[in-house]
Amino acid sequence: MIDIQQVTKEFSGKTAVKNLSLTVEDGKIFGFLGPNGAGKSTTIKMITGILPIEQGKITINGFDITEHPLEAKKRIGYVPDRSDVFLRLKGIEYLNFIADVYDVPTDIRKKRIEYYAKSFGIYESLNDHILTYSHGMRQKIVISGVLLHEPEVWILDEPLTGLDPKSSYTLKEMMREHANKGNIVFFSTHVLEVVEQLCDEVAIINNGHIEFLGNMSEMKQQFQEDDNLEKVFLELTQNE
Amino acid sequence: MNKTWKLVRTIVKMQFSLAGKSTSEQIGYAFLFIFAIPFSIFIFYAIDGIVGGLYNILEPAGNESFILGLLFISMFVVLILVSVGSILSSFYFAEDIESFLSLPYHPFQIMLGKSAVPFITLYVTNAAVLAPGLIVFGMHSGSGVLYYIYALILWTVTPVLPFVLTAIIVMYGMRFLNLSKNKDRMKIFAGLFTFIFIIGINIVLRMNNSSTDAGEDLACLIEEQNGLLNTITTFFPTAYLHSITLTDPVSARGFLFLVLSLIIIACAFVLYLTAGQKLYFKGVLGLSGGSKKKFDEEKITKKIKQSNVLFISWVREMRTIFRTPTFFTQIIVQSLVFPVLFIVVILFDSNGGDFSISSLGSMVEEIEPKRFILAMTGFTVFALGINPASISSISRDGKSWFNHLYMPIKAETVIMSKVWAAFCINLLTLLVIGAVAFIFANIPIGIGVIWFGMSLIINWITSVAGTTLDLYTPNLQWTDEREVFKGRLIGILALIIEVVVFGSIILFLWNVDWLEGLWMTSSILTAAFILLSFVCHLILKKVIRTHYYSIHQ
Ligand SMILES: Nc1ncnc2c1ncn2[C@@H]1O[C@H](COP(=O)(O)OP(=O)(O)O)[C@@H](O)[C@H]1O
Ligand SMILES: [Mg+2]
Repeated sequence: MIDIQQVTKEFSGKTAVKNLSLTVEDGKIFGFLGPNGAGKSTTIKMITGILPIEQGKITINGFDITEHPLEAKKRIGYVPDRSDVFLRLKGIEYLNFIADVYDVPTDIRKKRIEYYAKSFGIYESLNDHILTYSHGMRQKIVISGVLLHEPEVWILDEPLTGLDPKSSYTLKEMMREHANKGNIVFFSTHVLEVVEQLCDEVAIINNGHIEFLGNMSEMKQQFQEDDNLEKVFLELTQNE
Repeated sequence: MNKTWKLVRTIVKMQFSLAGKSTSEQIGYAFLFIFAIPFSIFIFYAIDGIVGGLYNILEPAGNESFILGLLFISMFVVLILVSVGSILSSFYFAEDIESFLSLPYHPFQIMLGKSAVPFITLYVTNAAVLAPGLIVFGMHSGSGVLYYIYALILWTVTPVLPFVLTAIIVMYGMRFLNLSKNKDRMKIFAGLFTFIFIIGINIVLRMNNSSTDAGEDLACLIEEQNGLLNTITTFFPTAYLHSITLTDPVSARGFLFLVLSLIIIACAFVLYLTAGQKLYFKGVLGLSGGSKKKFDEEKITKKIKQSNVLFISWVREMRTIFRTPTFFTQIIVQSLVFPVLFIVVILFDSNGGDFSISSLGSMVEEIEPKRFILAMTGFTVFALGINPASISSISRDGKSWFNHLYMPIKAETVIMSKVWAAFCINLLTLLVIGAVAFIFANIPIGIGVIWFGMSLIINWITSVAGTTLDLYTPNLQWTDEREVFKGRLIGILALIIEVVVFGSIILFLWNVDWLEGLWMTSSILTAAFILLSFVCHLILKKVIRTHYYSIHQ
C-alpha cells in the first residue's frame, strides 16, 4: 500500500505540490493524471526518495520513506521520466548491477533477464553500451531492470512516452499482469486515453493539488458536473 | 582562408567564453591570475639560478650553447606531453565533433579549428618556461637586440613542431585504430600510446648517453666548442639550429640557421595540413557511429553473476572512467603525468645531476633518515595532490546522479565505491613511482616499504578529501564531460588544502629537535596521518548527511 499524507513541496518559493494526500491499495493500477507541470514528477520523486519531503509523510507497505529509506526503496521499482541511466554501462551490466542492488539470485536473474529483454526486443543489444540505445530502448532496459526484482510497488513516470505501439502494448500488458499478482502499479501520464484503458483508480492533479480522486466511472460523471474539472479535462484531451 | 579563420574564432570563443559561469567562478579566475604573478617571479628566479649557474661553468669553453639546446629539447618533450592529451580530446573525443562534421568545410579546416585551443595551451606552457629561459640567457650572455628579435621569432615557432608531429602521429594512429573497429580498446591504446612514446624517447636518449663513458667523454666534450650541444641534439635537429642561432646571432651562420629552422617548421606545417586533409576524418567518422558487433549470447550469460553491492558499484565507477574518453584522458592519463615526469627527470639526468640515479642513491645515505622520510612524504603529497578521480567522484555522474537516490543502497556505500575508485587509480601512480625509484635509485628496502605504507594512507586521505569536496560543491548540470574538469576551481582548492595541511605537519616535524631516526619519524607521521584520515571520514560523513540528497535539486 502507498500512503501519502498531507505532502507539500516548495521550490524556491513556488509550491509544486500542496497538501497532497492519497492511498493506493494492493492489486490496483493507479493513474496519476495531469497536464505538464502539474506536479506529477515531483510527487513521484518524493515517493521514491529522490526529493526530501518537507511536510507530510509517505509510507510504502508500512515503511516510511524518510525514516526507513532502504526498506521502503527495496519494495519500489521506479521508471524515471528521463532515461539518464548509467550510460557507459552495457545493457547486461546495468541489469546485473540492478539485480545485485535488489538481491536477485543468479538463476532467477538469468531467467528474467532473458524473458524481459526478449519481450521488449532488446536482447540482442544487451552487449552494447546504453549510450548507443535510442530513447525507447533506454526506457525498455530500465523497465526490464525494474521487473527483474518484481517490486511490490511499481512506479512509472510517463512510461509510454517514446515507446513504439508494440512495446507500448507489451508494457500495458505487463502492468496489468503485475497488478493481478497483487502488486501496486502507480503511473503518471498526461494522456486521458491511457487512463481510460488501464486504470482501476485515478487521481487528477493540477497546480500541485488533487482535483479528483476515484474510479473511472466516477471520473466521467464528475467531468460533466464540475466546471473546474472540465477545464482540466479539456487540457488533457487537447494534448496529443 | 577567411572561412577557416571564422571557424577557428568560433571554436575558440566557445571554449573560453565566460558566459554561463557564475560570478564566484569569475572571481576565482581573478584570484588565479593574481596568484600567477608571484608564481611567475618564482619561476623566473629559479630559471635564472639554473641557467646562470650553468652559464658560468660552460661559457669558458664555448659550450654555453648546451644550455639553449637543453632548454629547447626539454621544451620539445614537455610540449609533446602537453599536446597528446589535448589533441586527443579536442580532435577526437570532444562531444561537439559531430556538429562540425556536417558543416561545409574541408577536413584540414576543421582540424585547424580544433587545433586552436590545444595550441593556445601550448603557448601558456611556452610562456611559462621557454620565455624566461631565453630572457635569462640573453641577460647572461649580454647579447644585443638581434638576439632578442631572433629569440622572439624562435619562441613563437617552438610549439609548432612538437604539436604538428604529435598531431600527425595521433591522426595516423587513430585512423589505424579506427580500422580495428574496437572503440574500447582503442581509447586505452590511445592513452598508453603517449607513454610508450615518451618512454621510447627516453630510452633512446639514455642509450645514447650511457654508451659513452660519461666522465671522460664529458671532459673532452667540454673542451670542444659546442661539443655538448652536438651530443645532446643528435635527435633534435631543430634544437641544434635554434641554439646555434641564438648563441651566435650576429654571424651569417646564425641567420642561415634561423632561416633553416623556419623552413623546416614551415614544411612540417604543410605536411600537417596534408595529413589532416587525408587522415583526420577517417579517424573521426567511425567514432560516433558505434560499431555493430556480432551478438554473442554466451558472453551475456557469462556476465550474469551475483556480487557484493560495494564491489559492483566500484566496478561501475571504474568502467565509467575507463570507457568515457574524457574521463580516461583527464583521470588516467593525467594521473600518470607526474610519474612519467619523474621518470623523465631521473633518466634525463643520468649523467650526474642532482636527481640522477646514482646521486639519488647516495642522497639516501647522506641525508638524515628523518628528513629523507619527510621529503619523500612531501613529494608523495604533491604526486597525489591533484587527484582528478576523487575531485570528480560525484560530478562524473552528472544528470544520472538521481539514480543513486531511489535505489536501496546506502549513501555511504555509493560514496565509498567512489573513494575506492579514486584510491585504486592513484595506486597506479604510486606503483609506477615506486617501481622506478626501486629499480633505478638504490633505495633501501626498509625505506621503500615505509614510503609505500605511508603513501597508501596519503592516497586514502586525498581520495576521501577530494570526494568530500566534490560532494560539497559538485557540478552535475553538465552536457559535455569536459565541464566536469574545466572551469572548476576544485582541483586547485584540493591541492591548496592538502599542501597546507600536510605541509604544516611535515614542516613541524622537520623543525622539532626531539624527533630523530627513521622509525620514530615514520611512526609519528603514520599516527598523524591515521588521525587525519579519521578526521576526513568524520567530515565526509557530515557532508553526506547534509548534501547527498539535496545536490541534484
Ligand atoms: N528542481 C526544480 N526547481 C524548481 N522548480 C521545479 C523543479 N522541479 C520541478 N519544478 C516545478 O514544479 C512544478 C511541477 O513540476 P513536475 O512535477 O515536474 O510536473 P509534471 O507534472 O509535468 O511532472 C513545475 O512548475 C516545475 O516548474
Ligand atoms: Mg513529469
